[in-house]
Amino acid sequence: MSEHPIATGARFVGKRIQRKEDRRLLTGRGTYIDDVVVAGMLHAAFVRSNVARGQILRLDIAQARALPGVFAVYIAADLDQLGCQPGNPVFDMPGCPSPDNGLLARTDVRFVGDPVAIVLATTRAIAEDAVALVEVDYRAEAPVIGIAAAQTMPPVHPHLPDNLVNAMDSGRDDEIDAIFASAAHVVEDTIRNCRQAHMPMETRGLVAAPDGTGELTVHAACQSPHLSALHIATAFNMNQHQVRVIGKDVGGGFGLKMSPQRDDMAVIAAAILAGRPVKWIEDRLENLIAGGQSREDQMSVRLAFDADHRLLAADVEYDCDFGAYPYATQSSASLVTPMFPGPYRLPRYRWKAKGWYTNTSGLVPYRGPWMLEMFAREAMFDVAAREMGADSIELRRKNIIGKPDQPFQTAAGFVLADISPRETMELAVSAIDVPAFRRDQAHAREQGRYLGLGLANGIEPTTVSFGYFASDMAHVRIEANGRVTAMTTTFSQGHGTVTSLAQVIAERLGVPFEDVTVVEGDSSQIGFGSGAGGSRQAVAGGGAAIKASDLLREKIQRIAAHAYNASPEAVRIENGVITIEGAPEVRSSVAEIAQIAYVAPDRLPHDMEMGLESQYRYRPPPMVLANATHACICEVDVETGKVSILRWVAGSDCGELINPAIVEGQIAGGVVQGIGGVLFEHLRYDEDGQPLAVTLKDYLLPTGLDVPRIEYQHMCTPSSTPGGFKGVGEGGAMISPPTLVNAIADALAPFGKRWLNMPLSPDRIVCALEQ
Amino acid sequence: MKAAPFDYLEAGSADEAVCLLGEAGSDAAVLAGGQTLMPLLALRMTSPTVLIDINPADDMAGITHTGHGLRIGARTRQADALHDPFVARHLPILGEALGHVGHYQTRARGTVGGSIALGEPAAEQPAVAVALGASIELRSTRGTRQVPAREFYLAPYATARAEDEVVIAIHFPAWPAASRAVFQEVARRRGDFALVGLVMLLDVQDTRVERAGIAWFGMGPTPVAATTAEQALTGATIADIDPRELAQLALAQVEPPEDLHASAHYRRTVAARIFERRFRTLTEKVAA
Repeated sequence: MSEHPIATGARFVGKRIQRKEDRRLLTGRGTYIDDVVVAGMLHAAFVRSNVARGQILRLDIAQARALPGVFAVYIAADLDQLGCQPGNPVFDMPGCPSPDNGLLARTDVRFVGDPVAIVLATTRAIAEDAVALVEVDYRAEAPVIGIAAAQTMPPVHPHLPDNLVNAMDSGRDDEIDAIFASAAHVVEDTIRNCRQAHMPMETRGLVAAPDGTGELTVHAACQSPHLSALHIATAFNMNQHQVRVIGKDVGGGFGLKMSPQRDDMAVIAAAILAGRPVKWIEDRLENLIAGGQSREDQMSVRLAFDADHRLLAADVEYDCDFGAYPYATQSSASLVTPMFPGPYRLPRYRWKAKGWYTNTSGLVPYRGPWMLEMFAREAMFDVAAREMGADSIELRRKNIIGKPDQPFQTAAGFVLADISPRETMELAVSAIDVPAFRRDQAHAREQGRYLGLGLANGIEPTTVSFGYFASDMAHVRIEANGRVTAMTTTFSQGHGTVTSLAQVIAERLGVPFEDVTVVEGDSSQIGFGSGAGGSRQAVAGGGAAIKASDLLREKIQRIAAHAYNASPEAVRIENGVITIEGAPEVRSSVAEIAQIAYVAPDRLPHDMEMGLESQYRYRPPPMVLANATHACICEVDVETGKVSILRWVAGSDCGELINPAIVEGQIAGGVVQGIGGVLFEHLRYDEDGQPLAVTLKDYLLPTGLDVPRIEYQHMCTPSSTPGGFKGVGEGGAMISPPTLVNAIADALAPFGKRWLNMPLSPDRIVCALEQ
Repeated sequence: MKAAPFDYLEAGSADEAVCLLGEAGSDAAVLAGGQTLMPLLALRMTSPTVLIDINPADDMAGITHTGHGLRIGARTRQADALHDPFVARHLPILGEALGHVGHYQTRARGTVGGSIALGEPAAEQPAVAVALGASIELRSTRGTRQVPAREFYLAPYATARAEDEVVIAIHFPAWPAASRAVFQEVARRRGDFALVGLVMLLDVQDTRVERAGIAWFGMGPTPVAATTAEQALTGATIADIDPRELAQLALAQVEPPEDLHASAHYRRTVAARIFERRFRTLTEKVAA
């Protein structure tokens, strides 16, 4: 709840306000990376490996270099001259550094798409012509494809002993074996996710522009200009002020743009070597084979229940395919097992987690990277309910945590507070009308139609704040004309942060919403901060905005009080107009106070600094929890194996909502991506390590025709942060897969199968039903 | 994803297209709606040296009633064919199929001739042409000829069109107005190419099948006519036909592919189910 009483009238927080950026974006006036044009700019294209693993025997760039319009063709030895430091200063875990094979492959390639040369030319088309002229011979070697192969085959990275990236566990626990041995019910299975792409509408890309003074400006499709600038300065051993990263509009990140990758760095290195600005726009083929991937993981789960269906213990083993050049692996590997207990009373818990290198595109955190904890748990709860002859909702009711149970420490050591899992579940259950559905389901089955109801509960850890993500900053100033400019370390990937933060600031200051402009996306103009990632911007950015606005409002009140001989507490600011309680004749404005602050220092209190601006670096709690229950009804056509989603209820508690429309947009986007992961999206590789889905004809995204209208149900348990906000960015993507899979499994319950291998394509459903 | 260099020529009429293609030789491609060609160019999966754009050739667009059936100009937009009153009256099954071709937006640009000429084995329009017994009008500087759709498709994206020939029009023969038609497509998503597709027309007089036209799509290297099943049906009395046996007969000539989206087993299994169910529905109608 608010720490400060709001001395302003108009409420903007909680309103569905039209986004400030929509008119510009919807009328084609956005500035995405490909819209950036710099004088003298060259265009880059990569020569990429077409084998998954092999030695480079011959690399001949002579013909490509000779093509008119080609400025340079660089190979590893060229870029290596710059001495670019390997590793990721933001995301590398101690003892688990990024593997180094140069920005371009030096002597061997390690996945299909591994960059081996970069061409700079006057147009992208000529650069692609030149790419076709580069001759590379490889001696192909048997690649490591899949987790099982990673466990036995020679290392992907020759300097490492094996393919195991990291291994963690909860330690020895002999008693848990005894619990399983004596439990009334034990349910066990493995759930297998399938590899997915982040698929932002705007692919990766940058324009790197070095200048004569040794400074470097990088226009980047990134999630955090500051973290990118930090990474670039570290890699090229530059002072921080020499690197400026600018972002304007970004067409989606989803984790893909949290960090520059090798090919981004290769473009920067090429620009520095060439002494020319260079643009690289990743094309969709590159994006699909080399941009990064996620969700190629699996979890073996054992659950023990007592005779009354109360959960006794869980034993979990998690494995994740990291590909060849992953980053931020901790976002999946380190959170998936600790989050597994979810919102349930789980007395005893044992886990293991491992990550593996393979000769495939690298793991990059994707919206809810640890989603398998929710997916596996909720899917296995339904399997357990069916095995035990229990109702799956009743099973959850017996084990779930509600508001009165908190604070509650989970079996993994997390303290649950300010969340409402039982309450959102009841909200979703009542929205669905379960008894009515069961009647419909029985009636449909008599006609040979298979309807199913699925439900899932989940806790979303948001605003995970440590390392470089420990703080966010807002600088708010009232200009001399009374308008408000705020510079924040948030960075919209389409999130609408310039709208939601303007709502927060306008409300806290008491000025019109239209008067507030939020500026973000420039590492040299705005103080350090972490941008978009980890569902943090409402809490961290909103918290900073509240704190900075409150400081500024207090200053306005003090100036007005001094000018009109009143006490600061009596000063009211509403819609930019200032009144004094008890002095109805006074009517001033924020603009007038700004005039005093900037040009009439004699009217200020004598000890007060001139100007009307404030800055606050806000440190959120280490984690702010949100929770949700989703439920869906689907129909499975057993003739063709096709799944139709008939209803979708999203019951959420993300605390105080700044702009419900933006919140619902976040939920919808996540749900759609989750549906894609269950029904359509699969970045499959063949046994030779060749990616099979290399266009959007084969990598199927759900379209508007494939997704349901979502019925939103909001519940509000404020967080203990300044605005009571919680994050909401990732939960939808994590909770929708188990919701849908449970619905499909319920629909097909008469066939007695389990549905734990993704994707649940028509082929998989038809073939499994036949067996 | 930028196309390799090519020369670009505009054809203002069918004759001009024919002349330009005749001069350009084997490395030319004809650009109509571009719904397939443009992505292929961008991916450099094809790199013609000359691109002949027939979009200005207005005489290649339009649908006429010939007395024997409908002649659809190759450059007729799919959306225009979909909303054409002649198609609605004489070829409702083509209209139904067109509703499954791509998306609302792509049909505004994509052409009937483009899809017919491409020979995508999982596309809807070639299968309709095969099932109905349509023929393809081809013209070169050497002359004009008509090739039956059943002889036109040779392999995936390979047709009987010679490299100097332009697809001018498609001739769909008239079927009796009372013909019974089935169009069914199973695709991963609306607008995708078929995993399994079936086009079936039966001309039934009283209870006797006078003529049958059946084609599968997405089920082989080309649209596949189920000629054995057609022969079995022709002259037969509906009540004497076992739909399950007929489905197996219709699938006898099919070797479905295996790809990212479905196994051959899936295609065969689902095809048999669809055929049998849809045929039964037709039969019940006849019986009633």
